[in-house]
Amino acid sequence: MSSPGAGSTAAVAIDGGDLPLGGGLLALVRPALDLLRPGGVLAVLSSSRSVNEDLLAWCRLERHEYLGSEALPDSRTRYLIARGRLAGVQGDREHSVHLPRREGRLLTSDLLAAVPMPERADNATGFAPRGAQVEPGGPQYPFSLTERDRVAPPEVGQLYDQAVAAQWDASRDIPWNKVKPLPPALERALGQIMTFLAENELSALYVPSRFLPRIHPAFVEVAQFLATQLNDEARHIDVFLKRARAGGGGVGVSSATTSRSLLSLLELEDFTEAAFLLSVLGEGTFLDLLRYIERYAPDEATAELTRRARLDEARHVHFGLAHVRHALAHDPALYGRLEAAVRRRAATLHNVGGAPSHLQDSLTILAAQDTSPAAVRQGQEAFRELLESMHEQRLKRLLNAGFTPGQAQTISDLHTPNFM
Amino acid sequence: MNDQSIFVGAVAYDPKVVTIWEGMREHFREQGVPMDFALFSNYERQVETLLKGYIDIAWDTPLAHVRVKHRTGGKSLSLAMRDSDCGFRSKIVTRKDAGIRALPDLHGKTLAVGSRDSTQARILPLHFLKQEGIDLASINVLAFDTDLGKHGDTGTSELDVLAALHDGRAQAGAVGDLIWVAEQSAGRVDSNKVEVLWTTPDFDHCMFDALPTLPQEKADAFRRALFAMHWNDARHRRLMELEGLREWVPPREEGYQSLVAALTAAGEL
Repeated sequence: MSSPGAGSTAAVAIDGGDLPLGGGLLALVRPALDLLRPGGVLAVLSSSRSVNEDLLAWCRLERHEYLGSEALPDSRTRYLIARGRLAGVQGDREHSVHLPRREGRLLTSDLLAAVPMPERADNATGFAPRGAQVEPGGPQYPFSLTERDRVAPPEVGQLYDQAVAAQWDASRDIPWNKVKPLPPALERALGQIMTFLAENELSALYVPSRFLPRIHPAFVEVAQFLATQLNDEARHIDVFLKRARAGGGGVGVSSATTSRSLLSLLELEDFTEAAFLLSVLGEGTFLDLLRYIERYAPDEATAELTRRARLDEARHVHFGLAHVRHALAHDPALYGRLEAAVRRRAATLHNVGGAPSHLQDSLTILAAQDTSPAAVRQGQEAFRELLESMHEQRLKRLLNAGFTPGQAQTISDLHTPNFM
Repeated sequence: MNDQSIFVGAVAYDPKVVTIWEGMREHFREQGVPMDFALFSNYERQVETLLKGYIDIAWDTPLAHVRVKHRTGGKSLSLAMRDSDCGFRSKIVTRKDAGIRALPDLHGKTLAVGSRDSTQARILPLHFLKQEGIDLASINVLAFDTDLGKHGDTGTSELDVLAALHDGRAQAGAVGDLIWVAEQSAGRVDSNKVEVLWTTPDFDHCMFDALPTLPQEKADAFRRALFAMHWNDARHRRLMELEGLREWVPPREEGYQSLVAALTAAGEL
């Protein structure tokens, strides 16, 4: 039995043995056809009688072109199929990439270098991993962050690698048995500080999570990094509330001004504005606050948990700085938008005169370690120095993000005295 | 209501038919071709409604198409069909343990068939077996007359045939080729128990029919909108997947000759 096409040369051949079509043969035929471009020819060798009846019908079902068959001397049959133009996926399968091992580790930053992000992502590729052959005709996804330079700083792979390596356990990794009874005023002050930290970290958990589903999966490393950031914040909330209660001080006051300030972060609609206000300005200022608490920590447990939280926050600040720096470099109009965002936020918080009084007093008592007037005088001095160093560090970070000294001064002055 | 709109009839053999035709109406509207549709519960009513001129176009099974052609003295207009309607075949499928090596071995055996108005699972496979010299009176026919009026569209009777083969109520069965390979493709056929014996000659399936009085501009507009659907366009693809095609193609008549012969022989035309 032969037909005009049967003499064609096949690009790929498979040996189907005596497998029936639905008894395993398709598991060989379908992947082989996927490797061909439309029009490419596959030869199927088979000794199964039923394949003779079924292969043509299957080609009709899947819109491949059945070219014919010829009997071979060994009683097998050779069938030829051309891949149909409306069948299967388009484009080529990803070529193999070289992925170095570094002391046995396979780093995400190396994977990202080998399979780089596209400049612009297509919403028709949905949740397909970057590099996948995407069948055409799929639905449009509603991702709104589809431009690489608005989402993904070049450092994101390294930052993700660092983040996963630096995860810790708030139950096990803090020397909780080093928490000793403190004078009640100091313990209450510590409870108030931990309350403020936990409240701010709750906002740092919720704000970035709003943007995660907007990020196109072609930039998945950004989503992965944000996932580590969210996990960090979840752990910080946990560890701060544990410390508030571990010494008996309990949680303190949540002020209306803090609440108003954090709501204005939650209401941000732009990813870069949120990264700027939350990570660069808010978490950046938090680094100074955590360093202060660590320095005046009344016990080892408090020192250790603030140290660990600060290292995590430093990574978030680094990502925020990289994001804003990269975005500023690609969008000259961005500075104006960021300054406007800071001004809008300052306007909604116009009656906030300084740090919430409960917090301010607690930070003073913490540094004083005591309620004697002499110690409190020193504590007050330490708190004043904290405010100064926050402003100086904020200026440094703004310059590092690519702002001019004038712009940095304006923005730092406008930043909320509520710290976050 | 717009009197200029094209009024299409289709049979609601499944709830998805509403989704398909709502989507088609939207697509036609985007193409600047106003179209509306009526859904019928069976093809007999749809054919009568078309012949009375109450609808412009009917989306017909091969059985309905052949009847329309016959009742209009061959003058009805055929407008378009699916790529999947061309080159249809039926399969005679058997149990491996039934000892059926060739068609004559069917004598004395039980052959499961689909609904009596199913072209692919009953009318044509029996017609072609007779042409091959098989005495149908010597075969015990196990019929699954499910969803009568739907002309086999639901596929239910064909799945009944395959189930009867798997559980041994029948030694052989007749099904359409697409359902046979689709069931195999999905891994739902036990190839240790059941295999194909024979393939019928090919025949064609569904057709958009119209009366010869359909204004030329309506026929042209209908075809233009239909052929503007593309498989690789996400908006169209969902409808095309539901309707079981990848391309709309121009009509051809030669693929219905065997069905005309079978119905004529049975005195049903």
